[in-house]
Amino acid sequence: MAEAPQEEGGPVRFMKQHIALDYKVHVSPLAARFGEQLRGGQIVGSRCPRCGLVYVPTRAFCPMCTVAMGERDEAPLPDRGTVTSFTILTPIQYHGQKEREDYALASILIDGADGTVGQQRLSDIPLDKIRMGMRVEAVWAPEDERAGDPGDRGYGFGNALRGWRPTGEPDVAADEFAEHVL
Amino acid sequence: MARDVAIVSFAQTPSTHGVTETESQLLFPVIAEAIERSGIPRRDIGFTCSGSADYLAGASFAFVGNLEATGAWPPISESHVEMDGAWALYEAWVRLQHGDVDTALVFSSGISSRGDMREVLCLQNDPYYLMPLWADHVSLAALQARALLDTGKVTEADLAEVAARSRRAATGNPMAQVAGDVTAEAMSAEPYVVAPLRAGDCPPVSDAAAAMVLVAGDRAREVCERPAWIRGIDHRIEPHYPGVRDLTTSRSTRLAAEHVGVGDAPVEVAELSATFSHEELILRDALDLAGDVEVNPSGGALAANPLMVTGLIRIGEAFRQIHEHGRTRTLGHATSGPCLQQNLVCVLEGDR
Repeated sequence: MAEAPQEEGGPVRFMKQHIALDYKVHVSPLAARFGEQLRGGQIVGSRCPRCGLVYVPTRAFCPMCTVAMGERDEAPLPDRGTVTSFTILTPIQYHGQKEREDYALASILIDGADGTVGQQRLSDIPLDKIRMGMRVEAVWAPEDERAGDPGDRGYGFGNALRGWRPTGEPDVAADEFAEHVL
Repeated sequence: MARDVAIVSFAQTPSTHGVTETESQLLFPVIAEAIERSGIPRRDIGFTCSGSADYLAGASFAFVGNLEATGAWPPISESHVEMDGAWALYEAWVRLQHGDVDTALVFSSGISSRGDMREVLCLQNDPYYLMPLWADHVSLAALQARALLDTGKVTEADLAEVAARSRRAATGNPMAQVAGDVTAEAMSAEPYVVAPLRAGDCPPVSDAAAAMVLVAGDRAREVCERPAWIRGIDHRIEPHYPGVRDLTTSRSTRLAAEHVGVGDAPVEVAELSATFSHEELILRDALDLAGDVEVNPSGGALAANPLMVTGLIRIGEAFRQIHEHGRTRTLGHATSGPCLQQNLVCVLEGDR
């Protein structure tokens, strides 16, 4: 929306007010351990000792059973999965936007996990060829570039993974991932 | 005629600075503890209400993730207030007045240490006049303290007494953050943060979580040996702009107190969300508390001030005075907004 012009010397009609708040978020011990394992090239989830559901990334407790989970409940997972949903994004050039070209983010159901990992970058495929049910594998950053931590928000792989690319395997039938389309 | 509703259990984390856990990780054991103490199976809880602020978390919709700590599957009936958990308690109490559900879980959490509260709380001011000035909450509180001192009714020494008493009381509270066997003289010798408020007159920056369970009617007596009945709960608000209020009194607290009948019978203990020492003097006056009322035996908000949890903890402490210490009539108070803008008063009673 274009800003209406303001007359020179006239009454103030608009006032710009830039607000920035800085936060310092500690990496939780759980996220730190997950990040360390990622840097070692291993995706890890948590298997609930009661219901058996596997969450990825790891979690401190099962939100379904309200049972605490720890290191003994860790479930190493393969770096392969299925695209259950995706979005093509056309970046608008707001302040701080680094993206210039259209790109795709997907929800990935990692093999052996019961929940998807959201907002995963897809690569090595034309955007109009992406489809639900497509099999993908992780594109790892070189070991010396897997710096930082995955953060505490619980849905990221930080910069250990560059994204996911097609494996070329046959697509998974829709009814096999219909419960995970988010 | 209000339906009888009682607090039957309460749990809180210690207040600390710089927790490494996420909010849901903080909440998980606290909610479990409150539910376990209540004796109510988790699946029997009819309504859940929480209080928190995304501005503390620095992330939008952060409160949704906190729900994981409740075990919200199969789906539960729940609500959230972007306020102190005391207002979540109020909503839960109103919900129980409908009569179709008998139990409620209330919880709140806040990790204040992640941001600069003197910046974050600027954003609660109006966006036209005060926000562009970055009028922070400590400076606004100092204006209020100055106005109170200018009435001649209180002195800086009175503020120091409140500061010292809070820290001494907190030595008996393992959940408190700032405690010590300090004197008013020592408090008076501390440097000003914003005159006339000295370091001891201001609260610490705290992280914590708390939870409580409410039960309506006779079932409260079945599950709890000594429930604390909510005899009255009310909240009132004053104009947003501090400049149009008389900052030396708290009309909203007085109104809320009248509506819940604070003066109908003697109160033994009052837990007040006085986050600055002068606020306690204003609140005591607005509540017409007698001289023998024990104020903030927990150390109060000067000993630990986890934003969004402070008020719920006050009511939780007022509950503990009845449930654990055999008192019969206590008061919990919560506040929100700059300079005691909004106030909630809750009177609890034990069976005689």
